[in-house]
Amino acid sequence: MTETLAIHIARSPAKKKSWISRLNWTGAATLTLLLLLWEVLDRAGAIQFNFIPAPSDMIGGAVELLREGSLQSAIGHTAGVALIGWLIACVIGVVLGTILGISRTIWRWTAASVEVLRSFPSITFVPLAVLLFGFSSAMELVVVVYAATWQVLVNTLEGVHTVSPGLRDVARTFRLSPLRNITTVILPAAASKIIVGLRLGLNLALILAVAAEVVGNPAGLGYGLMVEQQALQPERMFVYFISVGLLGIFLNAILQLIISRALPGITAAAERGQKS
Amino acid sequence: MSPSTATTNSPGKRFKPKSRVKRGNSAPLRGLTPLVLGLALWQIFGAVDSPYFPRPSTWVEQIVDFYGSGALLPALGATMRSLLLSLLIATIIGTILGILVGASRFFDRALGPTLEFFRATPSSAMVPLGVLLLGYTLTMKLSLTVLAAMWPILLNTRAAMREFNPTLLDVAAVFKMSWFRKVRTIIMPAVSTAILLGIRVGAPVAIIVTVLIEILTGVTGMGALLAQSQQQYNSAGTFALLVLIGVIALAFNFCIAAIEAFFTRHLPPS
Repeated sequence: MTETLAIHIARSPAKKKSWISRLNWTGAATLTLLLLLWEVLDRAGAIQFNFIPAPSDMIGGAVELLREGSLQSAIGHTAGVALIGWLIACVIGVVLGTILGISRTIWRWTAASVEVLRSFPSITFVPLAVLLFGFSSAMELVVVVYAATWQVLVNTLEGVHTVSPGLRDVARTFRLSPLRNITTVILPAAASKIIVGLRLGLNLALILAVAAEVVGNPAGLGYGLMVEQQALQPERMFVYFISVGLLGIFLNAILQLIISRALPGITAAAERGQKS
Repeated sequence: MSPSTATTNSPGKRFKPKSRVKRGNSAPLRGLTPLVLGLALWQIFGAVDSPYFPRPSTWVEQIVDFYGSGALLPALGATMRSLLLSLLIATIIGTILGILVGASRFFDRALGPTLEFFRATPSSAMVPLGVLLLGYTLTMKLSLTVLAAMWPILLNTRAAMREFNPTLLDVAAVFKMSWFRKVRTIIMPAVSTAILLGIRVGAPVAIIVTVLIEILTGVTGMGALLAQSQQQYNSAGTFALLVLIGVIALAFNFCIAAIEAFFTRHLPPS
């Protein structure tokens, strides 16, 4: 919803509407309608699956979990690990991506290695990390950092590679030091691509955090999902599931807000670039 | 001055962006040097019986072992089969939904938030849900993978349909085209590039979800083999399968990219 909203705003910057008219009412109504339909079908016994709870049962499950405090701590754990891992990945990814992108020689001698390593499915590193670090939060963090780093690195690299030769010439004409060249020319020019990388990286961080929790780490939303699945408690499980989805949307929206406040000019470009 | 800026003015430099397009497919072999060097150093200096970081030669022995015990080929077959099948289904559903949602402003706004929620929900969270609802079945494996891999295709198709030039539909009206002919000759060509791109983005997602399901549920496949090795503290086996799955993923993505390049060869390089 936030994304369509943002695009909507970007398209009509002149008109300033109140947030009420900008809200996607049709979409909200459809969602409500779907939930109502689900509720009615479930109550009427039309849904054949044994383990689909009615939305109202889920609210009960949510209240239960909130009272126990397990939902809050699970959200805190997952969000914490995903964010910390993502931040570490951002630093490593942008620094390495810039180094690899700026020097043709280094790139030539590493390109294929980067291609090979980054296309390894990150999920396969979870069993390895479990083997090396045990069932721990350290394992989860390592997996998150590893997966998100590639995403940020590759996007930074692409951004740096697409900096126009003209801009590089300008930097050369002004005899900028390498450091100033990077901070004042290269990184701003590559920013829209880097932002796309940061956003995709955050998504990936959350996916891998949940995956690591589902497979091995005894904490967080993913672990909650597994426990409730094995305990055959669908209404509590759906609460965890929806929390994961909402957490993803929330983190994305926050990041987008920060970026659009901090770098308003680049946000529109990133919006366009994100589609490709 | 950094070496890169020093060489900016050489004439060949200007053409770099063009060669970038093909970079993933034809990366020169010298780029593999760091990787090969790292593995070689590991092999030479690694402890002979390290419990956590076994030398690369033991990985190969493990692969031969898996092959010899008859576990490798069925697992490989199961993974590839469900991967291809789910990607095919995801393409069909994603294309149809993408065209519908992209063609109608009303559908777009109505389904936007619901689609957004499913898109934003990490696919890893769907796996326990799918297992609970559908059990340890092939249906479960396929539907979860389809659900995850469908989004890039759907969203790309939707974006292409939004930029679709309505005048083209007038052409269809002028020629009194049948519905089928309209879809085939006007709509499909407009969205096919977007669909191919969506498949290329969706393929790695499909691999990840398939392997995750196999790790988690133990249904036959490469992921199950990997989880088994980990549970038996077989570190050489874990490394070996990690590399093997990685290489398979690499080959798979390469094939998809090649297919995409084949079908878009008539287009000017963007």
